[in-house]
Amino acid sequence: MPKILSADKLDNCIERWKSSGNTVIGPVRKSNISAYRPVEKASEFELDIVLPDLSIKELFFPQTEPILKYAIRKQAIDTTEFLPPSGKRIVFGARPCDASGVAIDDPLFGWDYRDEYWFQRRNETVIVSIACVKADDFCMCTSLNLAPDSTMGSDILLRPINGGKGWLVEEITDRGRDAFASIADLLQESTESPVPPAAVPEKFNLEACVEWLKNPENFESRFWKEISVRCIGCASCTYLCPTCHCFDIQDEGDTYSGIRRKNWDSCSFALFTMHTSGHNPRSTQSARWRQRIMHKFNYFPGKFSLNKCSGCGRCSRQCPVDMGITETLQEISKLLP
Amino acid sequence: MSIEVQYRNRAKELLSNGEVKLVVGYTGGTTPERRRPVFISSAEQVDRLVLDDLCIANLSGYLVTESLLSDEKSVAVFLRPEGIRSINILAAENQLNPDQIVIFGFEPAGNTIKALDGTNALEFSEFVVSLSENPSVSDSDPVIEKLEKMSAQERFSFWQDEFSKCIKCYACRQACPMCYCRRCIVDCNQPQWINTSPHTLGNFEWNIIRAFHLAGRCVECGNCDRACPVNIPLRLINRRMAVEARESFDHFAGLSMTQEPVLASFKKDDSETFIL
Ligand code: SF4
Ligand code: SF4
Ligand code: SF4
Ligand code: SF4
Ligand code: SF4
Repeated sequence: MPKILSADKLDNCIERWKSSGNTVIGPVRKSNISAYRPVEKASEFELDIVLPDLSIKELFFPQTEPILKYAIRKQAIDTTEFLPPSGKRIVFGARPCDASGVAIDDPLFGWDYRDEYWFQRRNETVIVSIACVKADDFCMCTSLNLAPDSTMGSDILLRPINGGKGWLVEEITDRGRDAFASIADLLQESTESPVPPAAVPEKFNLEACVEWLKNPENFESRFWKEISVRCIGCASCTYLCPTCHCFDIQDEGDTYSGIRRKNWDSCSFALFTMHTSGHNPRSTQSARWRQRIMHKFNYFPGKFSLNKCSGCGRCSRQCPVDMGITETLQEISKLLP
Repeated sequence: MSIEVQYRNRAKELLSNGEVKLVVGYTGGTTPERRRPVFISSAEQVDRLVLDDLCIANLSGYLVTESLLSDEKSVAVFLRPEGIRSINILAAENQLNPDQIVIFGFEPAGNTIKALDGTNALEFSEFVVSLSENPSVSDSDPVIEKLEKMSAQERFSFWQDEFSKCIKCYACRQACPMCYCRRCIVDCNQPQWINTSPHTLGNFEWNIIRAFHLAGRCVECGNCDRACPVNIPLRLINRRMAVEARESFDHFAGLSMTQEPVLASFKKDDSETFIL
């Protein structure tokens, strides 16, 4: 019989997970912003939202991370590597678009070089997602062949039951099964049916857009300039995106010693592609916006057979000039015969 | 005739007789409450222009887009009072030739908006002076009062909490008409003057540097505050800087096209309270 986790047992679950060495993390609102943060008790969670403002990405790929300490001496350079921090974590109440966002990046971080900072965290983290029962105008998972209840990237999928009393438990991976085995006695058997997932209308025909993007003639299309003329070139869309993975390496310190860091970076910035010579191969904002779209729906799928977008909608929701992936793909759809 | 229709007609006229090559205005956005910038370059498209009380963004930053004005042709732009002040600053700082800018001015009036008389920045001189004489309503912002009552230590931890959220997306800078530098100080990397890392120290450096670079230049249009995806209340910093510029140097940002920048000019009777 299906199992439910009742909302009033959540504190016991957190206690149980913490006592076995886990950090429990979930959507929390602090200083007027919601993000995935560690909690001590269930009341700290803010679960009744469409999705947190900041994506889950920072739990696996923090905005800044020290990777090396160096000191330059007369004859040698001393270096000490910082290993990725270790510790088991349970992320409770992730959104399916955040969980899939993480899964989309797995092949990238494991491709020509295995990024231990990413994988150590991945291996030590259980993602417990809650299927969405509400969505807003910007949600677009269904346009990316995903859904408000997709299981991609989740170790457990919870489906809310009526009245907010709890969630129906769906075990997806062994990692999820193990985490829930430790709370098996807190679950109840139930015949209740879950609340249906949110209705998220499809916003564009992805396959057709991808065909247009793949056509080399369209690389120099006027479309790119027209669609991006109001883009101000910030990194709001890339930094809020659960799948954008670009980073920069920076040495911080003085001439003789310092710390090498890995910081988020964005193809929206002119500096991103600036050569030492001063030449910039992506010298205009339209070329930079084209890169963002091409990377997500042409280059990345070409390499990893995955769209580099989970449809969370943050790029459009937060853009200071009301742009975003959705509008661009909708406009491309209009260009199609 | 509504102000929207009035300005659409004017846009149509200016575009058809070639007086302007472009109109920078607002149009509808993704949701009914959203307005987004739009660039209209032919008379047939003027019906896309929307103007109502939801049109808030300061569009003047687009005017200093690289090479937009280099052909000496004119551009029309929809501006609120703060936007008109930014034109004055951009002109004073030699970033644009004000004769190339045709202003479609409007200001909030209760729940609606009303048109402002004038088309060229010069014609708004008296209007801007009248703005400087009426201290803004946000002088009595409760959060500001709360902040002012805090001890230095409390205030520091307030800003520490706020700045720790910064993700260095630079949306504040990109949205700001006064942040027009082709190469921002944080992007100068030989040497790297400012830490680019978004850790709390780097975030303090960034936000404080930006505040200083905007002191006496910020027109409090709110573009930065609205752009910030992590809701850092940048308006509080801007307000404080504006009050400081006024109280210490009797300076109202964007008062005229010949105004000297407060932090880059010197008067014998300048207040020197901060010099030890
Ligand atoms: S699309 Fe929007 S959020 Fe993204 S870089 Fe452009 S202005 Fe910034
Ligand atoms: S591209 Fe936009 S919608 Fe897609 S995952 Fe990134 S932020 Fe979300
Ligand atoms: S869209 Fe841009 S920032 Fe995002 S992963 Fe691709 S290149 Fe990097
Ligand atoms: S600092 Fe902010 S409020 Fe001031 S002019 Fe720039 S965008 Fe406007
Ligand atoms: S917009 Fe906000 S988060 Fe982005 S750099 Fe500015 S203060 Fe930081």
